[in-house]
Amino acid sequence: MLLQDENLWYKDAVVYQLHVRTFCDSNADGIGDFRGLSSKLDYLQELGINAIWVLPFYPSPLRDDGYDIADYTSVHPSYGTLQDFKDFLTAAHNRRIRVITEMVVNHTSDQHPWFQEARGSRESPKRDWYVWSETDTRYHGVRIIFIDTEMSNWAWDPISKSYYWHRFFGHQPDLNYDNPAVREAMWEVMKFWLDIGVDGFRLDAVPYLIEREGTSCENLPETHEIIRDFRKRIDLAYPGRMLLAEANQWPADVRAYFGNGDEFHMAFHFPLMPRMFMAVKLEDRKPIIEILEQTPQIPDTCQWCIFLRNHDELTLEMVTDIERDYMYDEYAVDKAMRINLGIRRRLAPMMENDRRRVELLTGLLLSMPGTPILYYGDEIGMGDNVYLGDRNGVRTPMQWNGGWNAGFSAADPERLYSPLISNPVYGYQAINVDSQRRSAHSLLSWTKSVIQTRNAFRVFSRGSIEFLNPSNHRVLAYVRRLGDEKVLIVNNLSSSAQAVELNLQMYKRHIPIEMFGRNLFPRIGDLPYLLTLGPYQFYWFRLRRI
Amino acid sequence: MKEVVLQGLRQAYGNLVHMFAEFLPRLLVMLVIVGVGLLVAYALKMILRAVLHVTRLDRLSEEAGASRFLRMAALPSMTELLSRSLFWVTWLGFILIGISVLGVAGLQEQISRLFLLLPAIFVAILILFLGLVTANFTSRAALLAAVNAGYPSPKLLSWSIRFVIWALAVSMALEQVGVARQTVIAAFSIVFGAFMFGMALAFGLGGKDLAREFLERNLTEKKKEKFHEPQPL
Amino acid sequence: MAEESFLADEFLRQLMSVGEVDLLIGIPSYNNAATLGQTLQSVEESLRQNFVRERAVILNVDGGSADETRQIFVQSSDRRDVAHKGLTSLRTIHRISCEYDRSPSQGIALRNVVAAADLLRAKACAVVSPATANLTPSWVANLLRPVYREGLDFVAPLYVRSRFQGLLARDLLYPMSRAVFGQRIRELYSDEWGFSGRLASRCLEKDVWHEDAVRARPEAWMAITAASSGLKCGQYFLGPKSAAPPGTGPDIVEAIRQTVGNFFWCMETNQAQWMTRSSSQPVATFGPDHELSLDGIPPSPEKIFDLFRSGVSELEPILASILALDTHAQIKAIALSDRARFHFAPELWVTTLYEFAASYHHAVLNRDHLVQALVPLYRGRLYSFLLENANTSAEAMEVQSEILCQEFERRKPYLVERWTAKS
Repeated sequence: MLLQDENLWYKDAVVYQLHVRTFCDSNADGIGDFRGLSSKLDYLQELGINAIWVLPFYPSPLRDDGYDIADYTSVHPSYGTLQDFKDFLTAAHNRRIRVITEMVVNHTSDQHPWFQEARGSRESPKRDWYVWSETDTRYHGVRIIFIDTEMSNWAWDPISKSYYWHRFFGHQPDLNYDNPAVREAMWEVMKFWLDIGVDGFRLDAVPYLIEREGTSCENLPETHEIIRDFRKRIDLAYPGRMLLAEANQWPADVRAYFGNGDEFHMAFHFPLMPRMFMAVKLEDRKPIIEILEQTPQIPDTCQWCIFLRNHDELTLEMVTDIERDYMYDEYAVDKAMRINLGIRRRLAPMMENDRRRVELLTGLLLSMPGTPILYYGDEIGMGDNVYLGDRNGVRTPMQWNGGWNAGFSAADPERLYSPLISNPVYGYQAINVDSQRRSAHSLLSWTKSVIQTRNAFRVFSRGSIEFLNPSNHRVLAYVRRLGDEKVLIVNNLSSSAQAVELNLQMYKRHIPIEMFGRNLFPRIGDLPYLLTLGPYQFYWFRLRRI
Repeated sequence: MKEVVLQGLRQAYGNLVHMFAEFLPRLLVMLVIVGVGLLVAYALKMILRAVLHVTRLDRLSEEAGASRFLRMAALPSMTELLSRSLFWVTWLGFILIGISVLGVAGLQEQISRLFLLLPAIFVAILILFLGLVTANFTSRAALLAAVNAGYPSPKLLSWSIRFVIWALAVSMALEQVGVARQTVIAAFSIVFGAFMFGMALAFGLGGKDLAREFLERNLTEKKKEKFHEPQPL
Repeated sequence: MAEESFLADEFLRQLMSVGEVDLLIGIPSYNNAATLGQTLQSVEESLRQNFVRERAVILNVDGGSADETRQIFVQSSDRRDVAHKGLTSLRTIHRISCEYDRSPSQGIALRNVVAAADLLRAKACAVVSPATANLTPSWVANLLRPVYREGLDFVAPLYVRSRFQGLLARDLLYPMSRAVFGQRIRELYSDEWGFSGRLASRCLEKDVWHEDAVRARPEAWMAITAASSGLKCGQYFLGPKSAAPPGTGPDIVEAIRQTVGNFFWCMETNQAQWMTRSSSQPVATFGPDHELSLDGIPPSPEKIFDLFRSGVSELEPILASILALDTHAQIKAIALSDRARFHFAPELWVTTLYEFAASYHHAVLNRDHLVQALVPLYRGRLYSFLLENANTSAEAMEVQSEILCQEFERRKPYLVERWTAKS
């Protein structure tokens, strides 16, 4: 039972997402590294998270922030050595923090030796490891994902005088999973890291593994076959390790990636994320309710991953045109904030540095069903720089203190991999870990206490959800249940005080106990339960029957 | 014999002259009282009228809706009504005083009985007033409705309604003052009953076709509408 | 002692849940189970198509329907995104309802609507009727848009009319209201109109809701209140006015009692505003100013003339108390004229109406009776119109209408003179 439960650790995780490059530089070269990251594990342990998801750290030309991999089984020299990684892993495990790494299975960098070989000759044994064509008309009509930079899913290779298929940047040729050798090679890569002790993989761009004529080349049955194969092998040889799917699709389409509990353990719930932002702006719970009502049931051993922001743009692919226009008008008025059908901003600037809204959204993230993922820096309210290219504006150095390079690096500021955020509002002098550590009422301290409260009750990670739908649409209220444990969560999505009457007939005679202050509230009786909430305020109540 | 008759006549004449001599001053006093009363009543009427004009009673009455009732009953304005009422009440009072000065036996008694009857008379007047108002209003409403609906003989209908209400009001008023109570009740019952019986006969026999048409028009759906009026709005 | 509130607790609770809105659409109903569903659909579609980001509420005020009207409203849901012609709504479109337990009255219904508009701080409101069979989503949008986007305070509808339709409006209400109140609003009495939250708040403050005139036809009073307060009025072209099947439409007597009675009452209560106005001004008009179609079932004129003639005769004493001697004599004269050559001159019509208005002011008899006495004369005018326009073109009819309007305006001093004369 314990072993079984241990294997489901990902359901109870609070994940912290970071790029090793951004976190801490130990050797003053201006780039974060694993030794630096290891030195900050105490901070992460103190924060209360219990899993770290590290973005790609493999050797790479870095034309797509490391997602263009040139060597799967090594560490980019800028970030340290393989031994540094192993040391980091050990240190994390000692603090009971698991580590999830990236597995970019769909494509490699065009600098990867596999591709160099494949393009070198049409007779190369690796030729068939990629998808080639004499013309660029195959798979006609398949959508382009990076619409701002790519004109086609085919790129001309001047060396082998043919086209190769790429769903992302032109320098990231897609691997051909119809070739069993590719699958075996990828399995060897996974084994390499699993043997070192990595706890799980986020499989990047998983819907695009297989191409078939006359289809959208996404979510094809053969893709699931491949995943099931990987999963079977992992379960056999590495029980308790986790696979997380990155599939930016509607919930009904993502459902397939859980299979019957025999594919992915977890998958991101992409469509929920923009709707949380929309609900706060609209001051209406409708977008959240609707998407969750459309979310299908998943196997008991599986879990959704939910998040507010990440290293990519806030994607608006899974919303309607009307909703996208609304989000742009409300959150990305400046066109520099927009990229690839998304918004490249951080949480705090999107919330206009309104602490109450940041807390509300964080509270939603930590109380809704699913494993929450916190993006590095959001716990202190870091800002962004939309004028850095691509999505680099949300990947600036972590701000540790108000001193030299924000405590990130001892190097010359000009040498940093990215400029620091230095404006008076979000700059490192104003927003940094050290200064927030000093105050029990800072955003950092608040985030710590909320995570702590969440971790103390399994109902948040494993409980069911039942929406109450009070007549006041500005209030989002739901009950999480796990066995006898019941928690009532009430969120005021609006900027003004609200009164709400909740139908809690089913919980008659229960006593609500507010979970942060632990104060008793009036017992639930026959009449609708009246609550008043300040602007953007939320309550977590434990419902106890004594 | 002739002397006796002449003496008798002389005595009678003397008594008569004496009676007149006694009566005439009282009559003169009565006439003076009545004349003075007329002047006083007129003066009071003018004063009251002036006072009510200053206090704008007519406007208040209009706002209170009382003027509407007066108009319904084809009565003058509130100011005028009160002024004239005061005039008549005052003069009547003086007339009664004058009559009492005449000293006609029995008349005093009648006058006191008249005073005792005054509350009943007042109620009777009120009933007549309300009856008048209701009759006027209802008969006019019926006339307008009948005319606009195109019914035949709208004036007959209007007049009938006015008659019935008036008859009822008069009967009630007479009963109130106690004048020939039984007779009035009986007469009213007979007349009213006869009227209604006559209407029933007229409708039932003489106007059965008309009655049928009337009922068809009002109780069944308007399928046989021959008259099409354009949609006004 | 505090005055009893007319807002029921349950209704207030619903308003609290809705919160501030941008748009409010009021639907007064009474036994409209057959058509309410279609009306709701049109309103929702309009909101989804034209006001995607706005906060909106649909309010049903029911006059105690005996059929399933209320249930239909309560059970309808706004979450039909998938089946609803592919339209999505960003926000919850609220639906709230209330009921009043007196006899059905547009005025009481409107009072609830303006109270809701005031409490919810709605910027733009519209009232639509479930009885309007051809209400489309664009109609709702056309009533709301000028208020919400252009800043108008009152928007009256404009319709395509068949030439035999709406003659009371064309021959009496429009020209007279234009002359008296100075605003060229064609359809002062209608089943759908738009207004601003600002106007709603002003109307709510007025203590006139118990007046019969307001209870029957509140929309004209709203428009006149707006004009009198210096607020902006306008009109928007909607489309064909739905015609009631012959024999089922509103009774002419009732129509005149409600509209003319309401109009005279408005004159009575806004004397200071209209007496000094000497000319009329056009209002902001969106779409064609008017449109006449040459279809329509010709009415039966002969019977109309008979009613006019018998009315003049039977109501002689009443008319004598209302009209001036000369005017009455002229009317008696034309009532005796040959029907084939009958002509109720516009000048006589104007004089008649102004004398009626003045007599209403002086309350020469019960005011409702006075208004009813106008019915036969209106029929005379109607007969004259039908006789003279059997084959007239739409343009020619419009020219005549304009001439009539100008006659009303020209004779306005006569109205003022009669109005202010001592009774």
